[in-house]
Order: sequence, then C-alpha cells, then structure tokens
Amino acid sequence: MYTPVFIDDLPDVSSISNRKSELYRLTRARALADLLLDETANWQERACPGCGQDRSQSGNFSQAMVPFHRCSHCNTIYAARVPDQARLEALRTRLLAEAGNTETSAAAGSRREFEFVSILNWIRLTEARTATSAGGLLPHVLDYRFCSESPAWPGAVERLGKNRDWRFMPLDAKAAAGNFADLRDQLQANPPEAVLLNTEMDRVADPAGLLRVIRANAPRGTLVFVATSCADGLEYEILGADSPSFVPLDRLNIFSVKGFETLARELGYEPLEISTPGRLDAVILQRYFTEIENADVPFWSGFFREADKDRLRDLQILLQRSLRSGVMRFVLKT
Amino acid sequence: MSLRAAIIGYGKMGQIRHRAMERHGGFEVVAACDTHTDFDAGIPLMTDPAKVYDYDPDVIFCCVPNMMIPDTVCEALSRGKHVFSEKPPGRNSADVRRMQEAEATHPELVLKFGFNHRFHDAIESALQLIEGGTMGDLYFMRGVYGKAGGADYAKNWRNDPEQSGGGILIDQGIHMLDLFLMFADRFTDVQSFVQRKFWTDVPVEDNAFALMKNPKGVVASLHSSATQWQHRFTLELYTHGGFISVNGILSASGTYGTEVLNVALNRLDKDGNPIPNPESQEIRFTEDRSWDKEIAEFHAAVTKGTPIRCGTSQQALDVMSLVEQIYAADADWSSGLAARSVKAV
Repeated sequence: MYTPVFIDDLPDVSSISNRKSELYRLTRARALADLLLDETANWQERACPGCGQDRSQSGNFSQAMVPFHRCSHCNTIYAARVPDQARLEALRTRLLAEAGNTETSAAAGSRREFEFVSILNWIRLTEARTATSAGGLLPHVLDYRFCSESPAWPGAVERLGKNRDWRFMPLDAKAAAGNFADLRDQLQANPPEAVLLNTEMDRVADPAGLLRVIRANAPRGTLVFVATSCADGLEYEILGADSPSFVPLDRLNIFSVKGFETLARELGYEPLEISTPGRLDAVILQRYFTEIENADVPFWSGFFREADKDRLRDLQILLQRSLRSGVMRFVLKT
Repeated sequence: MSLRAAIIGYGKMGQIRHRAMERHGGFEVVAACDTHTDFDAGIPLMTDPAKVYDYDPDVIFCCVPNMMIPDTVCEALSRGKHVFSEKPPGRNSADVRRMQEAEATHPELVLKFGFNHRFHDAIESALQLIEGGTMGDLYFMRGVYGKAGGADYAKNWRNDPEQSGGGILIDQGIHMLDLFLMFADRFTDVQSFVQRKFWTDVPVEDNAFALMKNPKGVVASLHSSATQWQHRFTLELYTHGGFISVNGILSASGTYGTEVLNVALNRLDKDGNPIPNPESQEIRFTEDRSWDKEIAEFHAAVTKGTPIRCGTSQQALDVMSLVEQIYAADADWSSGLAARSVKAV
C-alpha cells in the first residue's frame, strides 16, 4: 500500500486566521444549538464509528453542547450522539442558502481552486499508478457533495483533467432524504470509475451507511477517493477541542487512520493508499501558542514560539511522513 | 518447475543471486565455482568452471569479472544452458556481439543480463507514469550516480581496463545509461568529458560527464563519478506536464539512502501557464525487491517462455555502444586511452 507525502509551500499565519472565521463558527454553533433545542429531532447514541468500540471505554474529548469521545482503541474522535441524516442534510442546505456568496471573493476562490487542483492531481497520479493493478483508467469521476460547500471549477477540470467526465453531485436534501438515495440512483444509472468524497466523512451521521451505499451500487473495482480530517494529527493531539478546525457540526466524525482503515476493510473495501497531506498543523499550532501566552505544553509551546518558517515546514513534512497531520486521504477499491 | 542452477563466480553478486533464488523458489542451486572455496556455502564449491556442468544444471548464473563474461556465457549457451549474466556485459560492444552470435545459434535458450535498476520500485513507478501519458512528453533527463571510489581502488580488477573495459562509467554509470535508454530509446548525438582527477595513477576514468540527445530531441545529461564522496543516485525526468525525480537507490551496500520518488503535475494559471513549484507527491521505498523481480522474470522466461523485458542482449549492446560513444566523444580521453593501450601492449 502506498503512503505518499504531499510536499508544498506552507500557507502563512495570516491565511490561517481567516480560514475558519469566527462568524462561521458562531453560525455553526447556533445551528447546533437550534438542533439541540428542537424537540422533534431524533438523536442516536452510537459507538465509535471507526472500530465500533463501546463508548464507555473511551475518554471524553469535549462536552461542549454535544459530548465527543476519543476512542481508546483506534483514536477516532466522534460525537457520542448524532441527529438523523435527513435532519442534518436539511440543516446543511439551509446554512448553505443563508451563507450565500461568502466564499466567492477572489482570494477565497483562488484558495479553493488551489485545494481542488490538489485533489484533481491526486486522482490523476493515483489513476496512473493503478492503471494496471486496479484494472483501468478513471474517465468518469463522481464528485459527491464536495461542491455543495465550494464553488465549482469546471475550468480547472477542463484544463487539467482532459477527457475526463467530472460529475458534480451537490447536496440535495430532498433527493437524498437521509438515506443517500440520490447517490444510489446515480451510481446505478451512470456507474463511474471513481467516486470522490471530499470532507463528507466528517459531516455525515452514518459514515458506514454512506460507504455501504457506494460499495453496494458501484461496480467492483471502482476507486473511492476519501479526503477527511484525521484525529491522529498533531493539531488534534495537542489542542483537542481547542483546535480551530474543530467545529462540532462540521466534525461529527474525525477518524484516525486506524479507525477509518478498520471501517473500510470491515465494509469490504481494499485500501490502496493512505496519506495525511495536511499542511496546517504546524502553522495552526504556532498561531495558538503565540496568541495564548499562558498556554503551556511541555516541549511544544517553546518549540512553536521559537520556530521559523523552515522549521515549521520540516515539522509538517515529518508529520505527513509519520501519518500524523490533521487531514487524511484514502484510496479505496470496491 | 524447479530449475537446477549453477553459479560461476560466487563472490558478492553470486551470493546475492543465490539468496534471491532461494527466496523465489523454483530453483535448486546445485554447484558454484569461485577462486576461493575454503568456506561452507551449503553447496558444492569448485575452482574449475567446467566442473559445474558435471552437476547437470539447467541454468548458469554468470557472476564473474567483465573480461570472463563472454567466454562463460558463450560456453554455457553452447552447452544448451539458459544464462543469467551480471552486468556489464563484457568489456565492450564486441564482447556483446560475440554473445549475441552464440545466443542466435540457440534461440531456444534464454539469455538475460542483470540490469537490476530497471526493477527498482521507484524506477518502475516512474516508467509507469511516463508510459501512461499522465506526465506528457519527456523533455529532458538528468542523472547523477556516484560513489567514493572504494577499498583498494587502485588494485581492484574493476579499475584495470584489461579486465573491466573502463572505470566508473562502465561499472556504475552504465546503470544510469541503461535507464536513460529505457526512457529515451536511443541517442544519436553524444558529447562528453571523461576525466581522471583523484586516482591519477590508475588507468581508468574516475569521472565522466555526458550530454546526449535522441532523434526526438530528448536531452539527457549524466555525471558518473568515483569521487562522489557523498554517495548519490539522482534521476530527474522533466516532461510537458510536470516532473519525476528519484533520489537514492536501495542497494546491496545500503549507502545511497532510501529510494524516494517525487512526482508533480503542474498547476496551470488561467492562461494555461505552469505556476512554479507545484505540489509534489513523495513516495518512499524501503525494501529492495529488484533482485527478486529480476529472478522472477528469468524464471518465467525459462519455464513459461515469457519474453525478457529487461536485460536483453540487444539492450546490453545498446548500452555498451553508448558507453563507447561517451569514451570516444572526448577526444583528449580517447586519444590518451589509445596511447595507454599501446603502452600496455
């Protein structure tokens, strides 16, 4: 199995400070509070979504509004109870509509396109490597919901993904009805060679259900590209619930490498590639320790306060090589 | 199907091949020949190469110094044995042609040369990316392969041109040239500088620089060095769509570092121009499987008739001819070489 490292320039601190604006966090927190106050909402208690270990054996990660646990077996962080998928999708749809065009500024668009090109090139290189071993090229890619949170970049696909049919499948609360029926229908009607789930695993109430629908309805040999948060990342290890990336409604599941691999194998997938290409752990941690003067974590607080950009970059690459950054990517074969 | 194998030349390489055969299975090593036989190899050892044929081998592994390779290979083929031979394939292209003639008289036999670098995981990945078309057309290649001389450099047979045919270029640089040929097929223009800098009393080069171009305009530059005090293997391939580099190579000596493949696809701006310093993907390989894959290819060729993909006699001839072109392209070196040959006579 390949474990690639993605080497790139690190963003600087100023770009991080805008990454998750306070407004965005507050909006998510308000939506979560509304959901908690809604007496008609149906909440499900659950075990670790990665390895299935009982919740009683895991430590609390955060008690803020919704209790989160960190699995003592596989290190996955997860909301101990989740609303049903239909309600989550209705909520996300509403938030998207309310957000309007907040992400359409030139800078945000450029950053988003930058991230998208990284995903696209990841697929292109995996395609080249697996052309013989996995049985073929990937002319049809089904991009499930990624673009529901981001502008679409058909131009980038055209420039970089020549002769590739890239099918965006945005969030559609009515079509899905909480059971991924829209995905099932699409997979049956137009079977792709690849499915992209970017950031989706963080947000769904039933990640196993989503992966089950894909495996049951996509042809054998389909590659599933999963990009998601990673609980093994240094950012989560040190900051825990204080991590700026930890926005509860957007992070119902923060899988560990072990947790997600366990889940995927249990559902019958063959993992072909694992990586943690996150670029932000070091920069986020430096910002945290320089902004909060009394934060004191042995070794790390001093390290980050004194680190220059080169040292941060070296650390980030080390984290990637060690599968310890806050974002992970999996390539699975059905 | 199990093959009875005999190894002629049971030094470092012969023993590496022996272990690879054991890992692969399907071989029974029945005898080995070397100048030293005073140790327990677990198999019959002898000093006379002709004696290994008493053990009725199906295949011969030829792991002897360069000057002995043609005789050993031709003898084995004439006796109806399949042959796996170490590189370099003799000392010059005439040696290879002689072995090709012997091969031609026995088309039912397999002859394979051990250019194992083609089987390294990073190199195979690079080839897959280039051949798959993902990277676009190849523009140029740069290769550096070097080491710090070696123990008893001046006394080593590798640095006696009568025995080896040349210095660091034919011994180690030949691997990089073989890879260049794998990616670029053949070179028609060759320029070079061949030098002796450190071991000035040894009659072979310790550095060779070559610049080559193929008919499609792909340019390759090579630096092969015996004064590379920090051991190094670097191969870069730049293409229309990005680049691939291989840094480090897993070797028997373990001194060239981890084998690291870096590959990047260009990010394009809205006008289609590449943005500098694209994100690159790094893959590290920590296990040298090249020996095993070579043995597997040889075994399949003998037992199943699978064509040899890497290490054919034609590839051996191509790379040996390129070595000669590089020596010849430096007029100072080639005239000095001629003078040294006359002196030796």
